[in-house]
Formats: sequence, structure tokens, C-alpha cells
Amino acid sequence: MREKATTLYIGPQHPGITGNMMVRLKVEGDTIVKATTEVGYLHRAFEKLQEKRNWLQSFTLMCRFCVPETDPMEESYARAVETIEGREVPERAKYIRVMVLELARLASFMLWYGGQNGSLGLYTIGQWSVGDRNYILDLFEELTGGRVYHMYIWPGGVRRDLPKGFEQRVLKTMDYIEKRLDDYDDIMFNNAIFKKRTQGVGIVDKETAIEYGVVGAVLRGTGIKSDIRIDDPYEVYDKLDFEVPTAEGGDIWARALVRRQEARQSIRIVRQVIADMPEGSVYNRIPNPQKWTLPKGDAYVRTESVRGEIGLYVASDGGLYPRRVHLRGAAYVHGITLLEDVLKGSNVADVSAIMNSLGTCPPEIER
Amino acid sequence: MKEIKSKLVEAIKATYPEATEKDYEGNRLDFYVNKQCVPSVLTYLKSGLGYIHLSHIAFVDWLEEGEFELIYIVWSPSEKLKVFIRARVERENPLMPNIENIWRQANTYQREAREMYGIQFESFDAPQDLMLEDWEDIPPMRRDFDTEAYANKTYFHRSGREDALDVREAIIERSREEIPDFAKKYSR
Repeated sequence: MREKATTLYIGPQHPGITGNMMVRLKVEGDTIVKATTEVGYLHRAFEKLQEKRNWLQSFTLMCRFCVPETDPMEESYARAVETIEGREVPERAKYIRVMVLELARLASFMLWYGGQNGSLGLYTIGQWSVGDRNYILDLFEELTGGRVYHMYIWPGGVRRDLPKGFEQRVLKTMDYIEKRLDDYDDIMFNNAIFKKRTQGVGIVDKETAIEYGVVGAVLRGTGIKSDIRIDDPYEVYDKLDFEVPTAEGGDIWARALVRRQEARQSIRIVRQVIADMPEGSVYNRIPNPQKWTLPKGDAYVRTESVRGEIGLYVASDGGLYPRRVHLRGAAYVHGITLLEDVLKGSNVADVSAIMNSLGTCPPEIER
Repeated sequence: MKEIKSKLVEAIKATYPEATEKDYEGNRLDFYVNKQCVPSVLTYLKSGLGYIHLSHIAFVDWLEEGEFELIYIVWSPSEKLKVFIRARVERENPLMPNIENIWRQANTYQREAREMYGIQFESFDAPQDLMLEDWEDIPPMRRDFDTEAYANKTYFHRSGREDALDVREAIIERSREEIPDFAKKYSR
């Protein structure tokens, strides 16, 4: 007897979904035969709002595009504005920016540890890693005043210099996190359940990756060595020594292996940046924001986030407001076309694990 | 970098003589092309010249000039060069060629452009709604769409919060003080 297909709706409110979006599944038994993503629950029209705000007011909206990792968007915006205007950034500010970006990456990895394992029913590691993430958020709170939204990396540099003794506190936290990463390995990568549930699941092969414009850890999980920080270096990444890990297989397991090593590389970069940080000013003053106009022109800048490449296109018509700000999030590419195709043929129970692994971030898709 | 750029300009110009280029500092090179050429230029860049990564498609509304601009940004991992393919399309009944068969992720971009700007794509068969639902107004990302008027028409202010509409006026009423001169222009 032929099995009848059933329609299942996962989301928009569902603990396994990585935000407010819905996936409509057509299933036969527990195998998915068709998946359709439905976004639109989080559309806040930031890009439209930015067209009516001046260059500095627009900056405060940038970090809100995606919650788990807010600094790459701020940095992209700052760099795009600086590129259009030709504004110089002090050397020390560049080092601080890299430090903040890498701390944000680490904090985002911690959330990923929780999400990825939570989606497989392994809740302990999520409680550990989200708890440890708070130590990084404490650092952010001390530096910027905000735990999640920082609004710290702005055009011309960063908003303020490091507080006294901040470097030591960062290094201390890095030592602690590094030790904890070993604990995560024990509970996650030596865990038979995690291996069984992730190996051979959610496969993205090399050809698909290129055809779908896949970026970040998902691309590196297919064995392709690609990282914006190396390929198209920004700030001071070209002066730093770090590795780009890759893994073979293209499944959730491979992507987890890549992210596991990337977290360690982030710690390595933070230590280097603190050791090499020069003295000096951190901010080239911008004019009165009410009268600040940028020359006519446009820029496209890219930043590497945990989810992959984040691109920002900014166009200026010579006025007080941006003509257009257009964000390309990694999730924009991974979260719709790729997710729909990867889900096809997989098990209903793996939907959440695959979404987490691809780095789906609905606020970034809808903006 | 200069050599790579001049080589690319030569290669593009040999096939598309009407394309004009603009060079930028760093690893960026712009080409202005006719909208009909877009798929063939992109195919040539992807399969002939190694620009395998479509990084972004940006849409800009140039209301004053009566045109939309679509900017296809491609990246070559081997040459480390960003190439911008820029094409313009008129605002009245905009129709662009479909590049979904070159890069799959263009599907999402084209759905967004169709929904937010009303740009149609040739033989593009994808679900109509992406982020909006049952939208009947003009496409909302167009410059002539007035967000404030739409919000005032669609939503209402919560009752009991009338005094919160403008903080300054509420303060005047309570304290009987004048608004300082510098703040007057921000007041309603």
C-alpha cells in the first residue's frame, strides 16, 4: 500500500527552529519529500528605515540585523562608509575592531554549541556553553555598555578606548574558554549519539556548494579552503597568523569539526591582537552628524562571521542619508534555497539539526 | 592586480564591445552593461574566467532618473578580484533577464527584487510571496512608497498614550516652560 504524504508545519514558534520562521514539510512516513521555507515573521524593514536616517542614525540599526553575532554588521557598515568617504582609521582602532570581532565570533560559537546539541537532545553542553558565553558578554558590557547590541565599531574607529586592565581580563577569559573547549570536546565529539546523529546527515557536496553560493563553515566543511579574512583581508587580518580549518564530507559532523577548530583559532587571534596592539588614538572624529554628507559613490565590503560571509552594499547619492543599504547575510543564501534542497530526503527529526548546522538566522534573511 | 584587471577588461571588451568599465582602488572593478547582456556576461565570467562566486545582487532605486539599478557582484577566489556587473532597467514595467540557472541562490534575490521593487524576471517561476503577505500597495522598497503615511493609515496609537505622542509638548504642558530654540525644529 502506498503511503500518503502528510503536511507538517514546523515553526514559526518552535524550540528547534533557529528563530521566527516556518518550514512547511511534506512527509511520507518520516522522510521529507518536499520542504518549503516561509519567512516574513521578522521583517522590520531596516533597510527602508535607513533611507530616512542620517549616516550615524543608520549605524545604530546595523547591529540589529542579526542577534547572535552583531559586530560583523557594524564593522561592515563602518568600513563601507569609510571606503566611500576615504576616511582613515587609526591603527589601534583596527586592532580593537579585530579583537571585538573575534570575541563576537567566540560568543556566537558558544550559542552554536548550545543550538546544535540542543537540536539533538543533548542539553548539557548548551547549559555549559551559554553560561560560559556570559563571561564574554561581561567583557562586552564593560567595553561597550551593552551585552548583545554594542554599537561600538562606528565610522572613523571605535567609540572608546579599552578600560584600564581590560587586556588582562580578556586574556584570563580566553584561558578559561580554551580550557572549557576541551570539556566540550569530551561531551560532544566523543559522544556516540552526536556522531550517529550527525555523520552522513545534511550533506552539501562541493558542486552544490559552488552552485548555491555557499560560504563560511558550510563551504569549509566540503573541503574548500575559503575565508574572507584570508582571501579578501580587512582591518589587520593580513598581519595575523592563523589557520583556516577544513573538513571533508560536507555533513553536519564535518561542519561541527570546522567550527570546533575555528573557535580555537579565534582565541589565537585575540591573543595575537592583544600582544601586537599599538598605542595611539582610536577614533578619527566625524563631522556633526546632522550635517554629515558623504560623496556620491558606493561600496561593497565583506566580513567573515560564524555563519559565513556577510556582505554589505552601501550607496550614497551625496546626501545626508544613505541611498541604499543592502545586507547580504550568509543565512540569506543558506536559509532558503539550500535549506529546502538539503532537507529533501532527510528525516523529520533532523530538521532542527540541519538548520542549526547551516547557520540559519531568520532576522538576517528578512532584515 | 593591475595586470589582472587589464586582462579582464580586454577579455570582456573583446566579447562585449559596448561594455564600459570603471576602475577602483583595491580589488574592485566595475562594468556597465546592457541589461540583455547580463546572463551571458555572468556565464562567461563564471565558466570562462573563474568568477565562480556570486557574492551579492544589490538593487537600488534611482527615482529621479526613472531607473532601477541591479548590481551583480561576483568574486574570483583565484584572482582575488571583485567584479561589479551593473545594469539599469526602466522603472515603468521593469523586466530583467533571469539568472537563476547560473547561480541557484539568485532565486531568493530575484524573489526579493520582485516583491520589494516590482522588478519582474523573464520566465521566473517561484512562489510570489517571500516576506510580505497579500500586499496590495506599491512595492514597499520603492523610493516613492511613504512608510510613515502607510504606518499612520494601517496602525493606530494605543489609547491612553495620547500624551506620549510628543514628549516635548507633554513636558511644556506639565512644566509651563518654553522649548529651547535649538530644539524647536525637531518639535511637531
